[in-house]
Amino acid sequence: MIFIYPYRHYVVSFLLLSMITMVSQLFRIELGLINIALIHLIPVIVMALRGNMGSTMVVTAGSVVLFDLLYVPPEYSFDVHDLTYIWSFFIFFAVGYTISAQAKRIQANTIKEIFLSTLSHDLKTPLSSILGNASLLLKDQMYDAATRREVLIQINDSGQRMNRLVANLLDSARLQDTHSALRKEWCDFEDIIGVALQEFRYNPKESQISVRIDPDLRLFWGDCALLVRLIVNLIDNALKYTDNGKQIRLSVTSDAKTIKLICFNESTPIKKADLKNMFDRFYRIDHMGDIGGSGIGLSICRDIVNAHSGVIEAYNIQNGVCFEIRFSVNKLPSERLKELQ
Amino acid sequence: MKVQELILIIEDDDAISKMVSLSLHQQGYKTLVTPDIKSALRLLNANSPDLILLDLGLPDGDGKGLIKTVRSELSIPIIVVSARHEEKEVIASLDAGADDYVMKPFSIDELLARIRSAQRRFLGLQPMVNVILCHEIKLDIEHHLAWNGDELLKLTPTEFNLLKYFILHRNQVLPYARILKDVWGVGYQNEMQYLRTYINTLRKKIETDTARPSYIQTELGIGYRFICEHFDNTISLEKD
Repeated sequence: MIFIYPYRHYVVSFLLLSMITMVSQLFRIELGLINIALIHLIPVIVMALRGNMGSTMVVTAGSVVLFDLLYVPPEYSFDVHDLTYIWSFFIFFAVGYTISAQAKRIQANTIKEIFLSTLSHDLKTPLSSILGNASLLLKDQMYDAATRREVLIQINDSGQRMNRLVANLLDSARLQDTHSALRKEWCDFEDIIGVALQEFRYNPKESQISVRIDPDLRLFWGDCALLVRLIVNLIDNALKYTDNGKQIRLSVTSDAKTIKLICFNESTPIKKADLKNMFDRFYRIDHMGDIGGSGIGLSICRDIVNAHSGVIEAYNIQNGVCFEIRFSVNKLPSERLKELQ
Repeated sequence: MKVQELILIIEDDDAISKMVSLSLHQQGYKTLVTPDIKSALRLLNANSPDLILLDLGLPDGDGKGLIKTVRSELSIPIIVVSARHEEKEVIASLDAGADDYVMKPFSIDELLARIRSAQRRFLGLQPMVNVILCHEIKLDIEHHLAWNGDELLKLTPTEFNLLKYFILHRNQVLPYARILKDVWGVGYQNEMQYLRTYINTLRKKIETDTARPSYIQTELGIGYRFICEHFDNTISLEKD
């Protein structure tokens, strides 16, 4: 089923077209040409309501072709003697276009609503932790040093989490804008991973992360700041789902045409459907319970990888989960560097 | 008794300026807080602060003008405070004469470390010496030799010059273009790939874990900083 999923709109279109052809052929005499034309609008409207412009246009063309071929005299040919039918073709396209544009707008609003509700949840959780813990400290009761420290660690953690979320939102806005917003320069993945790891230096699980980088890895032409966010989000995600003492391994390898980045963490396998969908915005793996993540981290990973014309996928291996990213190398650094004398 | 040093904080957010001055008081500094550039210029004339902490996002405009004014009249360190995504502003401020920067949100420890290191640099020029020790790294400038612990490092001339440049400007934020100009020469300011490549090879020779570097820190979007907290230029070179 997973292979079909990206083409689901087209599968539905095909089924619809077959169905209306069957009905029209069976009741051809009873229905008459005008009603048959109206029936041929059904697939157009159904597909348009899904808000997918591409499949709508395909189904419209299919509908028009079938109608012309099978019912418009002369039948079984594309010749059209009466010019009014040409107009009906245009009307078909106009209907399809208008409805799918409207549907898209409505969908965008729904996404905005989900966005706002997720966002307010993800911001409010750390915020209430900060406020609650701060008010504990403000009360004049004297807590012992260990408790105070625990409370402060909580405040610090929540602050860090909010900081990461805000960074993600800013990047997300930048990526939604256009691709021209990328600030590309020569990036060294070792450098990038180093900066990303800095962000977790106070995390007790940081030492569980091991890094292996191809010694002759070349520089990569990309937006270094975004690539850092990519690694930060991958590590953040891996840390969330990795128990104490278990391993997280980051590796970067390359060949002539690609740079491959793998983030592996020891954990229970992820369900097949989740593997595919977890890069969607605000998708949460429910059975994992509330680990305090936001659905935005992995979707930003996907956006950043896409902006660099790369591919990101997740898969299970024997004792854990791998996130694999492949960037194709389109621009090579020049081989000759000026060596000082 | 040591005179308390005065730090001028130019920051329009009350919560942040309160927090910063509170922590600076604890460390034995005196502070003066002002929310905008106009009043900052007035305060600068009336008092003589020992260090300036300047927020780049002030309502009445451009901090760079202030940096230039201060630079032309006073010899005191300036540290700029900036928000994320403002790397260009930071670089412009560093070029205008600011000494260092911290990015919001910053920790107080980070800020105090920057203040101390900026002050140390302003205490006076280092005496010219030929042998410098920085943690495990020992540099013999006269003979172009470098050691990591007991191991003699095999460095190319560029790597050596880069390392020397870093150690001479230790703990200081060094924008990419400045390193390229000072190490490679005028005309190489934009050759980022040179810098990235040589940082990579130099790290392989001096860092224990190149993904968690302890000497060469990357300041994302701005430049590099060579960390050297235990520094010694008084050692003599043993002859082997």
